Amino acid sequence: MMSGFLRLAASERLKLAKSPIWLLIPLSPLLSLVIGLLVNLDEFGQADNAIKYEVLVSAMAAFHAMLFLPILTGIFSAFVCRYEHAGGGWKQLLAMPVSRTGLYFAKFLTVGALLAIAQLLFLGAVVAAAFYQGLGDGVPWGMLLTSVFSGWLACLPLAALQLLVSVGWSSFAAPLVINVMLTVPNMLVLNSERFAPFYPWAQPMLAMLSFGDSELGRLALPLENVLITVTGSFVVFLAAGLVYFNRKEV
Amino acid sequence: MNEWVIETRALSKRYKGRYAVSGLNLKIAKGDIYGFLGPNGAGKTTTIRMLLGLIKPSSGSVHIFGKELQKERLSILRRVGSLVEYPSYYGHLSAVDNLEAIRRILDVPVGKIAEVLDIVGLAKEARRPVKGFSLGMKQRLGIASALLGSPELLVLDEPTNGLDPSGILEIRELIKDMPRQHGITVLISSHLLSEVELTAGTVGIIRQGELVFQDTIESLHRQAQGQIRLVVSEPEQATVALMQHGFRAELKESAVWLNGGQGDDAVAGAVKRLVEREHSVYRVEERRKSLEELFLQIVGEGLRA
Repeated sequence: MMSGFLRLAASERLKLAKSPIWLLIPLSPLLSLVIGLLVNLDEFGQADNAIKYEVLVSAMAAFHAMLFLPILTGIFSAFVCRYEHAGGGWKQLLAMPVSRTGLYFAKFLTVGALLAIAQLLFLGAVVAAAFYQGLGDGVPWGMLLTSVFSGWLACLPLAALQLLVSVGWSSFAAPLVINVMLTVPNMLVLNSERFAPFYPWAQPMLAMLSFGDSELGRLALPLENVLITVTGSFVVFLAAGLVYFNRKEV
Repeated sequence: MNEWVIETRALSKRYKGRYAVSGLNLKIAKGDIYGFLGPNGAGKTTTIRMLLGLIKPSSGSVHIFGKELQKERLSILRRVGSLVEYPSYYGHLSAVDNLEAIRRILDVPVGKIAEVLDIVGLAKEARRPVKGFSLGMKQRLGIASALLGSPELLVLDEPTNGLDPSGILEIRELIKDMPRQHGITVLISSHLLSEVELTAGTVGIIRQGELVFQDTIESLHRQAQGQIRLVVSEPEQATVALMQHGFRAELKESAVWLNGGQGDDAVAGAVKRLVEREHSVYRVEERRKSLEELFLQIVGEGLRA
């Protein structure tokens, strides 16, 4: 069972190897880097390095976590299904000795891995910007890794939902449109203390900006709250996807 | 349990109250090439999708290698290679990478890729992205994918669809060799009898979801047996005379047609009677109904096998 899953994952990796998806991943980290280079940290001149880092990450993650990361999640999910829809690949794949659950997890894992790469590039962009800003000494690795990792975690429910939509819909664009429609309200939802904690698309932003006992805490929620929403929606979306995919007529 | 490679029992699939496939009892013997025929929309692809576990039957069961598909899907599919409707491929990858993507799942040795490319004659094009392939090449790549797992059963759904005559010929040659050279049982579907006529040992004909004929190709040939056409002087009187002597004669297009029992003796006897009655016999010919005509007739009317 496990080796079957690993073989499926290896096959997925090959399919993405020569695809344009690799051009897409660095876009958001690069844009974040530009923001990080331009942001003005002078008014925090006397403050702690940690505070400056929080300001820097907040500025850089603004677009990345609020818009690009959820949208990329949708694009990656649609992408791992695209070749199957386009070439009649579902029939070929599912007529092979593979378990549908295993295949679904292999697709999900691929989306997760692509998101992880995007997050690591973002981390690289933050560190690069920090050095440029003269914050080179004492990089708070713990805080940065927590931010990047919890942002990644918060994307997984969205990935589960988008994978369900992408598997069900043979169109490449339709799932993306749905995803963008659900992501754009983030700009409003994130300003609402009442709704933000429960809106799955807002969680990547909330997760990336939870610096614990931060003074900039308007957006920051305790990470535990974020994780409850993330876990709950993840379980629901993934279960729905698995049930659907196992029953799907190909 | 039995020697059938594929056996379906009362296999049915219902969509919104309408049966796409109903009460199908397919029996496919080991080492045979089974031509699964029927017009478009008769239920061929639906049946094949059920055989491969892509959709679940509404009722009935599928047994492959004597095992029930519902229960042992993975171990059965490991021994089956398939090509459903149109070949699937990843256009941005080369032929080798396409096969590699499948090979990783099937976990067969790397050397198998070159082997199947060689069988289908794509070895030279192996490194080109598949999106530049012609339909025939894609189809051959599809067959290569189906062969990759060294299957004992090959299921090919309309493998010559959209191919030009030379492509059809190539695929036909390829399939013909499967049982002989590789010991593979082949199920091949088509809407044209002529495509499987020369390769298949057994044919099953499906019409509106029901199997209306299932027997050897020889039996189909026998059913297509012809009539004897006699061109004679005064055909009306000749017909009446032959009928009086117990021949099943019929007047059509100002010639006499003999139906049934056209053994040599019967024909000689009929000619003798006519000559005795001083009819001039200009021509004695056998008119065979082509298999295609018979197929169209079966598909049109339904003929209980």
